[in-house]
Amino acid sequence: MGLLDLLPWRRDKAPAAARDEDLFDEEFQRKLDYLALVSRRVFAGRLRAERRTKKSGSGVEFADHREYQPGDDFRYLDWNAYQRFDRLLVRLFEEEEDLAIYFILDTSSSMGFGTGDKLRYAKKVCAALAYVGLANLDRVSIVTTSDRVLERMAETRGKARIFKAFRFLRSLEAGGKTDLEDAMKTFVAQHKRRGLAVLVSDLYDPQGFERGINVLRYNKFDPFVVHVVDPAEARPKLHGDVLVYDCETGDEREVTVTAKLLQRFAEAQARYLEQVERYCASHQVPYVRASVEVPFDEMILRVFRRGGFLR
Amino acid sequence: MIFAGLPLAQLAAIFFAVGFGVLVLYILKLRRRVAAVPFSPIWERILRDKEATTLFSKLKRLLSLLLQLALLALLVLALGDPRAADTLLAGRTVVVLVDASASMQSTDVSPNRLAAAKDETRRLVRGLGGADRMIVAQMDAMVTPLGPLTSDTSALERELDGIRATDTRADFPRALRFATDVLRGYDRGEIVVVSDGALGEASDASGPVHLGSAKLSYVKVGKGAKNVGITQFSVRRYPLDKSRYEVMLELTNTGPESEDVELQLLGDGELVDLTKLRLKSGERLPRFYPQLSGAARTLEARIARTDGTHDDLPADDHAYALLPQRRRAKVLVVTEGDTYLDAALLLDGYLDVTDVAPKEYAPALAKGDWDAVIFDRVTPAEMPKTNALYLDPRGPGAPVKVDRELKQPGFDKIERRHPAVRFLALDDVNIALGHKLVPEAGDKVLGAADGGASPILVAGARAGHKFVAMGFDVRDSDLPLRAAWPLFVLDCIDWFTDDDAQYLSSLRTGEVWRLPVGAAVSEAAVKRPDGVTQSVPVHEGRAVLLGEESGFYELTAGAETTMFAANLLDASESSIAPQDKVLVAGKEAGVVEGFHSGVRREIWIYLLLAAAALSALEWATYHRRVTV
Repeated sequence: MGLLDLLPWRRDKAPAAARDEDLFDEEFQRKLDYLALVSRRVFAGRLRAERRTKKSGSGVEFADHREYQPGDDFRYLDWNAYQRFDRLLVRLFEEEEDLAIYFILDTSSSMGFGTGDKLRYAKKVCAALAYVGLANLDRVSIVTTSDRVLERMAETRGKARIFKAFRFLRSLEAGGKTDLEDAMKTFVAQHKRRGLAVLVSDLYDPQGFERGINVLRYNKFDPFVVHVVDPAEARPKLHGDVLVYDCETGDEREVTVTAKLLQRFAEAQARYLEQVERYCASHQVPYVRASVEVPFDEMILRVFRRGGFLR
Repeated sequence: MIFAGLPLAQLAAIFFAVGFGVLVLYILKLRRRVAAVPFSPIWERILRDKEATTLFSKLKRLLSLLLQLALLALLVLALGDPRAADTLLAGRTVVVLVDASASMQSTDVSPNRLAAAKDETRRLVRGLGGADRMIVAQMDAMVTPLGPLTSDTSALERELDGIRATDTRADFPRALRFATDVLRGYDRGEIVVVSDGALGEASDASGPVHLGSAKLSYVKVGKGAKNVGITQFSVRRYPLDKSRYEVMLELTNTGPESEDVELQLLGDGELVDLTKLRLKSGERLPRFYPQLSGAARTLEARIARTDGTHDDLPADDHAYALLPQRRRAKVLVVTEGDTYLDAALLLDGYLDVTDVAPKEYAPALAKGDWDAVIFDRVTPAEMPKTNALYLDPRGPGAPVKVDRELKQPGFDKIERRHPAVRFLALDDVNIALGHKLVPEAGDKVLGAADGGASPILVAGARAGHKFVAMGFDVRDSDLPLRAAWPLFVLDCIDWFTDDDAQYLSSLRTGEVWRLPVGAAVSEAAVKRPDGVTQSVPVHEGRAVLLGEESGFYELTAGAETTMFAANLLDASESSIAPQDKVLVAGKEAGVVEGFHSGVRREIWIYLLLAAAALSALEWATYHRRVTV
């Protein structure tokens, strides 16, 4: 720490950097090992059966039927079933192959808003899930997005590569606007290999969070939403006449903040979270709300319990 | 409309100057605090509901500005103190006479009539118009203005707290004369009498009071009339047996019903007599208690209803009296020997008599502190510096000039009111030889012969010392053979020592008391019955004060302390039935009008109230976000 760091207006920056350094310390890594162990215990018996993607048509072992959707390959239509039930069903086969897990980490400015807790938390969640994935011999890749794909950690596998992931995550900083649709379009264009796409974001997308998720869905990725939420954002410390501006778009708005208005804001925030959750539930998109006030390891266990990540 | 405060031009200047400032502040947009939010669409969502049109928003700001300017206009107008021209020119001048006499202590209204009178006066004060002026005066034995003539209602209300009830009767004519003096020169003068109406005639030694153009109004206070009071109380010692005394008192029932009362007589605080009496309505019942003993100094009479309740006026249920002090008077008799004189002086056991021959007179006089000197057929070269009785004086040292000889003079004319000869039968005294005395101015001729042309008995004072001169030798008359002789001698001594039989056992409240004190004293202190000590001036050897309270007083002058008692003893004050009307010079007092409580004519008060209301409105609209 330099002398300048002793200045009062610089003090809050120095500890933030220190916190970033400590993000993946030994304690964190011990917790990762524990989580990996837990994930194996939970799914004991299927440990060796590596994850399998549902990739219709290319496997040999019949897995399931599903409704025909426009665009599906006619070759996989189950004509027998059609004769029997008068419904168009597509046969699904399990294809034994490595699962590709993509961690799409939102690093827009809103993720670093305030004390930056959301981004730090997102990094931890990302690292933990990546570790579990690496430990299960999955191919893990991390990409960061704002209104586009910013950086990318190439696919890798094996537990020992987690340090690469740590380094990558450490280097990330918040900045830029959120446009999930554009970013996801770029992502799917760059990643032909389908797989689990874990979107770790606060979903503050002015264009609508659904559009980005839909891009993943429509391109046969299995989206998994980790919604990073900072409860403090529902209780902004504002009062009186203020000019509020969006930290990403810079949109300004004159507001006279009263207690009643703050209450309505908290309600609107809660409604927004419910809207996201409802959307994911209605579209069978696994959804986990990750509050920064919940310890990250407990959060990961929640992800395990929720299902959809471990198969 | 007239501006009694700042002139209109100045007001306009203030309004435009401050108004410009307000306008500038409104035009300048206040810089808002800037705050970042992570996701503004949520804010947009909640603000969309209360989003107003730009025009309405501007209108709101305009409304706020108009409110501020209206507020400013009200304040500036208030500074101008606007008044209606007619009220400014035609303000009333009101003199309020608040009766504080004894009857106002009646408790027929709660807590008493005086408090009710204060409340009524307070209502009058609050009903004053903007241009009216008022002075409040307490009316009892004196008239005491409580402050100056003023429009300041708060000062007038404060003054009311200073009114205290007294045990005196109200001097209504004096109060009216005071009021007319105050109102002299004012067009709209008004006198308001706040009283129970027991005020007596509005007439005094100068004749009936004329109010001129002043309007007289009467505010009646009180409703009850039940009262039994002690209206006379007197006590005296027997001249020849001063250990015994007699008491005379009178009870009066001024109420409308018969009353059963218990009369207690207490001597030195101990019960001496207890009597139960029934008094019919309006009855005056005198009681006489002869040959009493057992009290050395103080006597108190109390009455109370036999059922334990009190009548409406407790102030006249007590009466106080003080027995004359049994002080031994020192008398120096300068004589060659007079058996008749010695015999007369022997009758009073409270006299220390010293006989000296004329030649031993000077050293004897210098030796003692004599209350009286009796010169029997001896006349000193100069008058002694004490009181003296001259029997047959001669020569230049006599206090009066001794004129021609009178043969067989008689008491053709007697000054019977003088204490030295009061109640004495001197008319048929036979005198062989006497001398005509020539009194000086201020001397009193107590007895005269020749149809009143030749004074033979003169009383007076020289250099502050009393004297009585008798122009004949008692041995040349049959006076020593009569009962009048010793009484005359003793009456003279009593008069000299202020210890006469007509000693006033109590004084009347409401009068100016002149109490004898030592000549060398210039100031005296009086401890009142309520325990308060006040200093009183001494004029010509007498302490002068106005008695307002009944009870026992202590007068301290120099090293000497004496007591005296004072009583109301006024049947008219005991008669507490409130009067419906008050008459002055045959004209009946009207009812008060034009005092509207809560309505002030000062417009600035209403302007300030409006400004306060506007401020409240602005505050409310600001906090409810109507004007922001």
